[in-house]
Order: sequence, then structure tokens, then C-alpha cells
Amino acid sequence: MPPSFIKDPAGNAGDKKATIYLHIPFCKSKCHYCSFNSYAGRTNEIGDYFKALNSQMRDMAAQPWSQNRSFFSLYIGGGTPTICDSALLADLIKNCLRLFHFTDHPEITVETNPNTISTEKLYSLVQTGANRLSIGVQSFSNSLLLSLGRSHTADEAKHAFTMARQAGFTNISMDLMYGLPGQTLQEWRHSLEIATSLDPEHLSLYELMVEEGTPMAAKIKGGGAFLPGEDDVADMEELTASLLAAKGLKRYEISNFAKPVFTSQHNIHYWQNLSWIGMGAGATGSLSGIRMTNVPDPATYIENIRNKQNPYSEMECLCRQSRFRETVIMGLRMIEGIRIDDLEKRFAMGLEAYYGDTLKELTEQKLLEISNGFLRLTAAALTVANQVLARLV
Amino acid sequence: MPQDTIRNFSIIAHIDHGKSTLSDRLIQKCGMVTDRQFKDQLLDSMDIERERGITIKSQTICLPYKAKDGKLYSLNLVDTPGHVDFSYEVSRALSSCEGALLLIDAAQGVEAQTLANLYLAMDYDLEIIPVINKIDLPSADPESVAMQIEEDLGLEAEHIQLCSAKTGEGVDDILEAIVKYLPPPKGDADAPLQALIFDANYDSFRGTIISCRIINGRIKAGDTMLFMANKISYKVDEVGLFGLVRQPRKELRAGEVGYILAGIKTVTDTKPGDTITLKDAPASEPLPGFKEIQQVVFSSIYPISTDEYENLASAMEKLTLNDASLTYQKDSSTALGFGFRCGFLGLLHLEVIQERLEREFDIPLILTVPSVCYHFHLEDGTMKEIDNPAYFPDPSTISRTEEPFIKATIHIPERYMGSVMTLCMERRGENTHYHYPMPGRIEFTCEVPLAEVIYDFYDRLKSITQGYGSFDYKLIDYRKSDLVKLDILVNGERVDALSQLVYRANARQRGLHACERLKEEIPRQMFKIAIQGAIGGTIISRTTIAALRKDVTAKCYGGDISRKRKLLEKQKAGKKRMKTVGNVDIPQKAFLAVLKSEER
Ligand SMILES: Nc1nc2c(ncn2[C@@H]2O[C@H](COP(=O)(O)OP(=O)(O)OP(=O)(O)O)[C@@H](O)[C@H]2O)c(=O)[nH]1
Ligand code: SF4
Ligand SMILES: [Mg+2]
Repeated sequence: MPPSFIKDPAGNAGDKKATIYLHIPFCKSKCHYCSFNSYAGRTNEIGDYFKALNSQMRDMAAQPWSQNRSFFSLYIGGGTPTICDSALLADLIKNCLRLFHFTDHPEITVETNPNTISTEKLYSLVQTGANRLSIGVQSFSNSLLLSLGRSHTADEAKHAFTMARQAGFTNISMDLMYGLPGQTLQEWRHSLEIATSLDPEHLSLYELMVEEGTPMAAKIKGGGAFLPGEDDVADMEELTASLLAAKGLKRYEISNFAKPVFTSQHNIHYWQNLSWIGMGAGATGSLSGIRMTNVPDPATYIENIRNKQNPYSEMECLCRQSRFRETVIMGLRMIEGIRIDDLEKRFAMGLEAYYGDTLKELTEQKLLEISNGFLRLTAAALTVANQVLARLV
Repeated sequence: MPQDTIRNFSIIAHIDHGKSTLSDRLIQKCGMVTDRQFKDQLLDSMDIERERGITIKSQTICLPYKAKDGKLYSLNLVDTPGHVDFSYEVSRALSSCEGALLLIDAAQGVEAQTLANLYLAMDYDLEIIPVINKIDLPSADPESVAMQIEEDLGLEAEHIQLCSAKTGEGVDDILEAIVKYLPPPKGDADAPLQALIFDANYDSFRGTIISCRIINGRIKAGDTMLFMANKISYKVDEVGLFGLVRQPRKELRAGEVGYILAGIKTVTDTKPGDTITLKDAPASEPLPGFKEIQQVVFSSIYPISTDEYENLASAMEKLTLNDASLTYQKDSSTALGFGFRCGFLGLLHLEVIQERLEREFDIPLILTVPSVCYHFHLEDGTMKEIDNPAYFPDPSTISRTEEPFIKATIHIPERYMGSVMTLCMERRGENTHYHYPMPGRIEFTCEVPLAEVIYDFYDRLKSITQGYGSFDYKLIDYRKSDLVKLDILVNGERVDALSQLVYRANARQRGLHACERLKEEIPRQMFKIAIQGAIGGTIISRTTIAALRKDVTAKCYGGDISRKRKLLEKQKAGKKRMKTVGNVDIPQKAFLAVLKSEER
């Protein structure tokens, strides 16, 4: 059952543009730290899963809410979308572009992991319109890759990048992780140097977050692995900032770096806390402030879609004040910050009026700054952003 | 209900010997709950009780029991706490009873609180049925426990009941024994009303709910009752018995235990221990009431947010109604504003009060470093009793200082003798004695300064004896001491709430310890924090907490927005539980942590 109850608040021009996220919850193997909605060893469900996903797309596309929107980005994430057949992926992308009103040159991103792609598969993606590839590399150290439970080597990662270039991707991003058990500052420098030597347009750099219930968490708890200390991780972050700046990769969000014009339009839309449709098992969407998450288990998802049942397992609808605050804390993740004018118009609320002394204090402490109509974190505050965001949330 | 079919009894025991579990079985046997309503330790109704797995408040319930003699009895059961800090709860419970079931764990035998609670019951002249519990345990040794009961406790062997509160074995016999061996209440239903208030609770809809035992006379809705202590009268709205929920009755009469509602909205009108009589036909004198109770640990409570002082004041009133063992008076601090200086029965009591204030009244609090009450004899011949480091007299005016000593009674298996001795010596123990109540077990007594045991003596004892040690104490006297005031400076600013009075010879080591503990408890902040311990003007210890270098969540996309927001909200709530002193945020826990020992 599609969410026909979502009324479309008319006249909100900023909300006319939206994006689409499609989730492919299958992986070759499960990485030790992974708490994403992804499953290894269930490739036999892929066929039915794509049917269900296409079917949810048809339903959603028919909704008045979708009809009233133009879409400028499509993101196919996972999991590892590229373990699926080229034909299935191509079909999915084509269907999506056909069913929804897309703008002229939408950003179309596909996530991938090394050793799940071939030049042909990549070429087929380019053919269907994919123009941005995000490769989960995580590290260029084989021993770290092994301890993370990644299924590929450093060389395979480099090879994946080269293939992507050959297939015609002119916008490639890589994910790397730091703060890993056993990782040294030297190793991090090494991984960053190899990554930049490949000359990617975009890098996403994440500190390892140890999530409850993962094998990694158990290992650390049992004393089988040790995380680097706060100071070591801080050193890694300082190194990152200086090293990437020198290579022309500009930090535009807490964890994201890009060459000029290669920032991720899709992700910026999230950080602006705007609307998107999320489809597939476990995918979250946010339609005019109503946030909905599909059931995580692929089999249940397939089942629900097949029986024309509601695929949602969670729903959240915040009041205006909460959404305002949420928009502030998300927006401050971007280095540029938040355009105050847009924010105040969107929520019909005044920034200074709402936060009062808190805002004053934070600017006095040089953690926040207001300039040229933007509210942003100061350079000093970036490393301790949560201290600031926790006061604004 | 004819008086001779009423039985009022408490279940008393050492901590964890199974009182609440036996209560569960008795409640079930009497058909008071459906299986669906049932949950373990049913009478432990407070969240903290359920979380900690211990009873804190005595709880009364009235059970209908059809005995083998064919008669229907009304059994008023009171489940009591076992922890040493709550023995006042036990004695209040006993005041409404004619008998007690003394439970003893078949594997552990007689422990420190077994004796302490038995003596309490004897003070009230109660009939006692010894019950050996947990006979289902493989390590159960009911024969030697029975011997201990006869020889150590001097109780008659013929009345001993064997049971497993877990499996229910033997519980039927206990019910019969209650009816057979415990006497019915005496009292005269036709005499003027004398009802003993043994507990009370505030309900925002119905006002104060009085728990009372009718000693003589009767009371019903419509009567005008009179509190004998303050001569205030109220018209009774409702009387009744305690089931799982309140069960209204036409009247309560001599021998019964029940509740009275009278729309009492002035919390301070009701005093546990007071006697209720009827205004029109008053009793000539009140009942003896409860013994004055001696608070042993003192600490000040402050709301973290200073504008919550009024709320705290009203919460304290309501809480003392439900816990008469807590005392308080107004206090103030330069760092923390207005609050209350409170007296507690022990450190667990203090923690419970803090938690109850936060949970039941939703007021985040700071408690200052706990202290005992010292005697300072001054040069001018006067003596000052001081339990608050803030009022430590000018050292040059002190001629002599005394501190309270306790006599600790410790029960342990023989093999732990050495380590327990060492613990007592570390804590400045003197005059140690021991004897063997039964082969392999030692009863050890020792005189120790109270200040040395208030914090974690019991925890340490438990840990060095692997859970086999038990401990009871009573205040004996004041003895000569030599104290200094240890101040703590955070970024150069003295935090009065962290000051403590310490034994001079231990001062340096305590100062170091306090700094180390604070370093562990205070999170890194945006700037470097210096922590110093000082005596008079002299710095005796210092540590620094480096500035926070990173606190940022790396990844955040569409699907994690809600989760990340909630994490930040949690962080924000955590900050609300910290007290900002100068510009340093000090977490609640830090204030008590300075007393905790490092060995943990
Ligand atoms: N094996 C066994 N365990 C029991 C029995 N009775 C109680 N227990 C267990 O002993 C523990 C303590 O039981 P409680 O009933 O909470 O003890 P208590 O005497 O009320 O404890 P306090 O209120 O803290 O003094 C629980 O884990 C019970 O499950 C029994 O007959 N057999
Ligand atoms: S590849 Fe990514 S989604 Fe798949 S298991 Fe590893 S971390 Fe998780
Ligand atoms: Mg209990």
C-alpha cells in the first residue's frame, strides 16, 4: 500500500526538487564492522528482490507526491549493488528514469566494492546513464583489509579504480576508513597517498564506528583488538586535512572531500534535510518531513510488496521545531554551513530568536560563525562538532 | 473478619535469602494473582528495586487463606528489605506484627543480618518461625543450618520449616505454621481508636495514603480522625486493605492492617510513627511510636539546575513521608546554590534517595561528598558537631577532635580470615575479636571509624570474600581523631561540594586518590583542566585532563539522520546531568567517586 496519506504541502518551492535512493542489500561477504542492512550468501533472492523493487518504484511513481516533483539525483546503494547482473541493474536504472520525472542531467551514482565488477559491467552502467561511481576501498593495506573482513586486496581496489576510468566514469569517489584497530599514522598516510595518486574526484573518509552486535565489537570487547586512542585519531584527522588540501581535494562536509564541482549533489540534499524517496529493503525516505523506513529483511520486503502490503516498518514525523533543529545540525555538517535566509523561510522561524543565548555563547566561544548570510562551524569546531551540535539539537 | 482469624507477620532475613521470592509463593498460593499478572518479586514495585534485585521498602499485602481447619484467615504479610541500610524499614514493619518468618538460606546459613533482624524481632516480642529456604540448591545443608538455628539463635527446632521459595516446596506447610504458631492480634475493637501510622505515600490525586495498623478501636469512612502529634484532624474518605491494589472496606478494626484516605494534601501533616485516634472519642494517649533513628552519613543535595530548588523542596517533603529515615535541612554552597543537607542511614540509602528523587520527581541532582558527623572541641571549651566540611572550624581554635566508631560484626568462611583482617587494619580497625559459631565459619568483630566504612567497605568485603562475607554494624562511641580539610580545586577554583574531612595521616594519599578519580570521571572538555588537592593553602596533589581533541560523527546520510539526531539528543541530555563549575562540566558521578577506592 503506497503512502497516499502523505499530503503534499503546496507552495513550498524548495521542496519541489527531490532525489531517489534505491537499496540493494546483498554483499559477497559480511565485513566485520558492518552494521548496514546487507546480507551475504543470499544472492538467490536477487531476482525476486529486483521484481519487488521495480514494483515499489511503480507504486511510488504513481503517487501525487512523486508526480509533483522533479528528481535530480538517483543513488543506488547497498550492500554491494554490483554483485547483481548488469541486466538487472540496467533495467532498474532505466525503469526509474522512465517512471519518475528526472531533470536533464541527473547525478546517477552506483556504489560498488572491488572484485565485484568487470569492465563490461561498468561499461553497461555507463551506458544506462550512471555517471558517478562510489568505490568502497576502506584501506590500501592488505593486513588491515583482512582484519576488517573485506573480501578484496589493495591491488584489486586499485584495479577497480582503473577499470572504472576505462569504462568511462569521469566522477569517481572512494571510501576510506581510519581509526582502525592496529592502524598507525604512517599507514593512514600511505592509504591516503595511494588514493590521491589515483586522482579521484571525490573522497569519503570515515572514522571506524564500532557498532554493537558486530564481530568487530565482540573482538574489541574480548581484548582481541584495540582501537587507537583519541589523540592518535585526532592526529590522523589533522594529517588528512593538510594532505588532501595539497592535492586539490576540498573538504565540503565533515567526512567528504571533492574537487571543485564534484561534490555529491545527492548527499548535499540529505544534509539540507530535504525530501527523497527511499526504496528497497531497509531504505529510508523522507517525504515532506515524514520519514519512513522499509522493513530491513529482503524476504519480508519481497513478501509485503508482493501481497500489496505496506512495506514500512518505521515512521517518524517530527514537529516543525524539531525539524528545524534537525535541519540545523545536519546543515552544519557542511563546511559552507546553512544559508540562514533559506532556513528561516522554510520553517518560518528565526534562527537567533529560536536559539537565543545558546547561539550567542557558541559564537562567542568561536565555535560557530555567521558570515555572508551563512551559519557555519568554525575550523576549530569541526573536530569537536558534536559538542556544538549537541547544544543545538 | 473476627480478630482470631487475623495473622500479622513480617518476613525477615539476611539480604538475598529469598524473602521476596517466598512472598511471591505465598501470594500465589493464596490465589491473589493470575499467572498473567505474575512477575518475579512481585512486591518489589519500585524500578530501582527491580533493577538492583533488592528490596528497599517494606511492602504489605493482605492474603485470604483457607486453612486446613476449614476457617478463612486473613494474613497480613510484610516483605522487608535485608540490606543493613534499611533495618529501620524492618523495625517499622515489625511494629505492625505479632510474628515473623525468619528466613535462612540453606547454603549460606546464619549471616550478619539474620542475627540483627532476629534481635529486632525479639525487641518487639514477636513469635518467630525459622524457615530454612533454598533447600533445592545442590549446596544446601539444612541439617547444619538447623543446628545453627538451635544453638546460635536459640530458637526451637520443632518449629523449623524447610522450603524452597523457588520451587514452592514446603510453602503449604509454612502457611499452616503461620496460622498455628503465630498469635492473633490482641487489641480491643471497642476501645477508643489507636492506629499506628507505619508508612505513608503521597498520591497526587488522592493525597496522602496512610498505612496503619489498628491497635485498638475501629475506623470507617465519614469518621473524623485526629493525628495525635500535631492535633490536626481530617474527615476519612475511605479505608481498606492492601491487595495488589487497594481494596476498600467498610471499616478497619483492631488487629487489622490497612490504609486510610482523607484527601490529605498537606504532606507534612502525616508523620509515620504518629497515632491516629477519633476526634470525638479520642484515646487518652498515643502509642509509643518509633525509636529515633540515627543518621550516619551526611551529604548535601543540590538541583543541577538552580531554578529547580522549589521543586526539590516539595519532592523532599513527599519523599520523607515515604521514607521517614531521611532527614534534611536547608543548605547552600557557593558553587551549587541552594540545596539541602541530608542525613542517611548509609551509602546505599543515599544512592537510593538520589535515584528516587531523579526518577519519581524528575530532578537531576548533585550530591556532595558524603561525610560522617565529627565532634570538634574548641579552645573556648565548646563542642561543635559538624557533618559538613564547609563548617570545618579554624584549625587553630580546635583543641581536640573526635570521630564516630562502630563495632562491625562480620561473618565469613574461615579461609577469608586473613584478607578480612587486612581490610580492617587498612581501615584503622582496632580491638578485633573472633569466634567460631560453627566449624569453618568465623564471626569477627572489630571497632572501626565509621568514616572508613561508609563508602565501599561492604563492596570490598564482598569482593575479597567472593560474596561469602556479611556485615552488620552499630555505632559505639566517639574517639579521638585528627582531621584536616581536603579541598579540591578545578582550574584554580575551589569546589566546596568536593571538599572532605580526612584523617591527617591519610591526607596526602586521599588527595592523590581524589585527583585520580576525578580525572577518570570528568570527561575531556574543550580546554585543559587542572585538578588539585589542597590542605589549607598547600597543594598536595594535582592532575590534568587534556583538552578534548575530537568529538565528531564521521558518517551521516539519509538513513541515519534520525539515529544520529537521537545520539546528539542523548549527549545533550547527558550534559544536563553535569554541573558547570566555573566553566568545567562535572558529572554527577564524580562527586561520589572521590570516595571510591581504586582497587575496583
Ligand atoms: N535456588 C533457589 N533460589 C532462590 C530461592 N529463593 C530465592 N532464590 C533466589 O535468590 C535471590 C534473592 O531472592 P530475593 O527473594 O530477591 O531475596 P530477598 O531476601 O528478598 O533479598 P533482599 O530484598 O535484597 O534482602 C533471587 O535470585 C532468587 O531467585 C530458592 O528457594 N531456591
Ligand atoms: S561491503 Fe559494505 S555493506 Fe557489504 S558487508 Fe562490507 S561494509 Fe557491509
Ligand atoms: Mg526482597
